[in-house]
Amino acid sequence: MEFFRKTLDPVIALSAIAVLDVFLFLVVGAWTVGGGETMMTGLIAQTFLGDDLRRLPFWSLVFPVHGDYWKIYISLGMLFGAFAGALLSREFYLRIPRRLSEWVLITIGGLLMGVGIRLAFVCNVSTFFGLTPEMNLGGYLAISGIIAGAWVGSMIYKRILEG
Amino acid sequence: MSAIAECVVAFIFGSVVGLLVQRSRFCNTAALRDAILFKSYRNTKALLVAMMILTIGFTGFMTLGAGHPLDFDVGANQFVGLFLFGIGMVLAGACTVSTWVKTGEGNVGALWALVCTFIGMFLFSIAWSWNYWPPAPASMTGEPNLPALQLGFANARTLQDKLGIPAIAFGLVQVAVLFGIYRAILRKEMAQHVRHEQAAAADALETPPAEPKVKVLASRRG
Repeated sequence: MEFFRKTLDPVIALSAIAVLDVFLFLVVGAWTVGGGETMMTGLIAQTFLGDDLRRLPFWSLVFPVHGDYWKIYISLGMLFGAFAGALLSREFYLRIPRRLSEWVLITIGGLLMGVGIRLAFVCNVSTFFGLTPEMNLGGYLAISGIIAGAWVGSMIYKRILEG
Repeated sequence: MSAIAECVVAFIFGSVVGLLVQRSRFCNTAALRDAILFKSYRNTKALLVAMMILTIGFTGFMTLGAGHPLDFDVGANQFVGLFLFGIGMVLAGACTVSTWVKTGEGNVGALWALVCTFIGMFLFSIAWSWNYWPPAPASMTGEPNLPALQLGFANARTLQDKLGIPAIAFGLVQVAVLFGIYRAILRKEMAQHVRHEQAAAADALETPPAEPKVKVLASRRG
């Protein structure tokens, strides 16, 4: 099938996603990822800590842990859709970072993303595909933040690349 | 809609998104990083087109009172949080979408980025449980709360309610701004293209033309 042989134009892909996102907005709410990831964090922590997790007020006041939270399933769907796409286009193979520096950068980057999402109460998806198109003032603040952060990150990345 | 129906809809939506992002290699990180570092706008243009469609769709339905807009206060924490996130996504080489999509393609680094994101979120939950900042959606009032650095709640619908102008009118203004940025990028790309062609033409003039093949063969025979 042609779809799995050629790379799709991202403008076409994102236009289709935007139309679907409008439908999702009408049914449950705009596309988001950070909220689902937070609930998954809570579910994983509960597996290890059990009822002790409730001693942290965050998990009873902000994110009471439950498995039927719709945002979790967007992320699981993305994982499944990407896996199916990679398999059908024969692009699935294990890619393991080779250098220690890559592991260090990914670790720092991942931690910053996790803390950043929770501090802001929004992720990059909510910023670009939810808040800003709703013209929420928070969207403009978040976009300013992510552009400034991406610029600082790019300068650090450039310095590392130049060795 | 029941909770299970919501989860099913979300899973179907996510699956289509995962497939489209995997096939198009769209990346939100690249949309910002590549524009900043390499002046390359493949992903940035796609992001802008999606935002234009979404602005018309969301503000259009918000005019009619339909849809489920995000409902929490705006605060300084959104700037600071996304600033940290922006640094993190460039260092990790992936954002929230591409970590899931790349993990689905077998990328172990992306899976590790996801694990670290979860750890970061858990660490933040400990910090929040100690200082209760920023205010959680349950404790948000919708009004400015300057000691907590919260500016209240404002979106296209609140503008419609306060000013009596339909939300879609504000949406169209935003679309015009996004289109202006999109057109500026197209112009920049056109200028890059012209510069490339001029450089290629200059190179061709400087390099002496290759000897015609027939002549070479003829001289070898001779």
